[in-house]
Amino acid sequence: MMLDKDDEPLEPELRDAASAYHRPPEPPREQMWAEIAARRAASGTPRVGARPRRFLIWAGGIAAVLAIGVAIGRLTIRAPIVPPTLPASNPIATNAPREDATAYRVATAEHLGQAEAFLTLFKASVRQGRQEQLASATARQLLATNRLLLDSPAAVDPKLKLLLQDLELVLVQIAQLEPAHRSEDVRLITNGLENGMLVRLRAAVPAGAGATSRQGAL
Amino acid sequence: MDDRLLIARVQAGDATAARELYDAHVDRVYRMVYRIAGDPDQAKDYTQEAFIRVFERLGHFRGDSSLGTWICAVALSVALNGLRKVRRLRTREVGLDGAVELGATPREAEPDLKIRLARAIDDLPEGYRSVFLMHDVEGYTHEEIGQMLGVQPGTSKAQLSRARAKLRQRLADFAKG
Repeated sequence: MMLDKDDEPLEPELRDAASAYHRPPEPPREQMWAEIAARRAASGTPRVGARPRRFLIWAGGIAAVLAIGVAIGRLTIRAPIVPPTLPASNPIATNAPREDATAYRVATAEHLGQAEAFLTLFKASVRQGRQEQLASATARQLLATNRLLLDSPAAVDPKLKLLLQDLELVLVQIAQLEPAHRSEDVRLITNGLENGMLVRLRAAVPAGAGATSRQGAL
Repeated sequence: MDDRLLIARVQAGDATAARELYDAHVDRVYRMVYRIAGDPDQAKDYTQEAFIRVFERLGHFRGDSSLGTWICAVALSVALNGLRKVRRLRTREVGLDGAVELGATPREAEPDLKIRLARAIDDLPEGYRSVFLMHDVEGYTHEEIGQMLGVQPGTSKAQLSRARAKLRQRLADFAKG
């Protein structure tokens, strides 16, 4: 059978040119390791990658069965009729704080993910000498969301509040950059990013829960 | 050293073993991530993130592929997801701020083959681009690429073939028939 031309390797001159595409420099091994070690230490997981103990699996199974039982019970048993004269307790109000907390967590995770991507892009743009003023509109948008999250009654986690407050400062700085900004301002912002803001954001954003078909690669 | 033994030591909390695992794979991971991202900061960030995930998920490694391939799969996933996020944001920024192109230079006729090829590679669809870089540039086999991307080796071959076709088409005046 004849080989399709596109099954053949590229012509030598194209292959040579392709090898120059994004040619990697020497990896900053020690710098990366220091960061990895710091983040592992901060996460406080001395036993990395340990499989869950057998009793935890069993406990999880039992908890799931109990939860299903409770759910079936709630669905099948009628709620007692409350006399109209009594002050009825509002089930929505009772459940509201928990639902609020979940919604807040989801919204915060989404916001922090967007902020992390934005700051990564901003840092890369500055380094490559691009026009950073393009970032100001996005920074303003993120700033609005950040303020809403900070002012929410569900914002009770002091660590998260601190992170949002620090993020607010960075976003304000970027939002206020003028087209003819001083390079000193940009340098200060990028220094701030390198001094931990991005790392803190990454640590705060939960790892994406994608498909696990690749042995947990995703 | 046997991967299983190394993994067991890392899982037992042996810091030296964790460093050994890192040292054994970091160059390959960084190299691949850099080829995909093309930016030193992003390559550093994605490599770090990949190893943090590797250490977190070492218990999920089943040994269906080599440890190195599994680690590269984690890294590739981190890098591609990161780049997607950045791309989405870039698109949004350009939309918000009008028709100003981010860091763009006008696409004129460019006599330099390397620059034209780089642009052609940049413009490939993500799947084609990843497979092309991993196979034709980094020298991974279709089996390895399939394991990393979670696709069949045949899919990898087909994507490479299409990637080459697109590149040849874009660089027709350079490619020799």
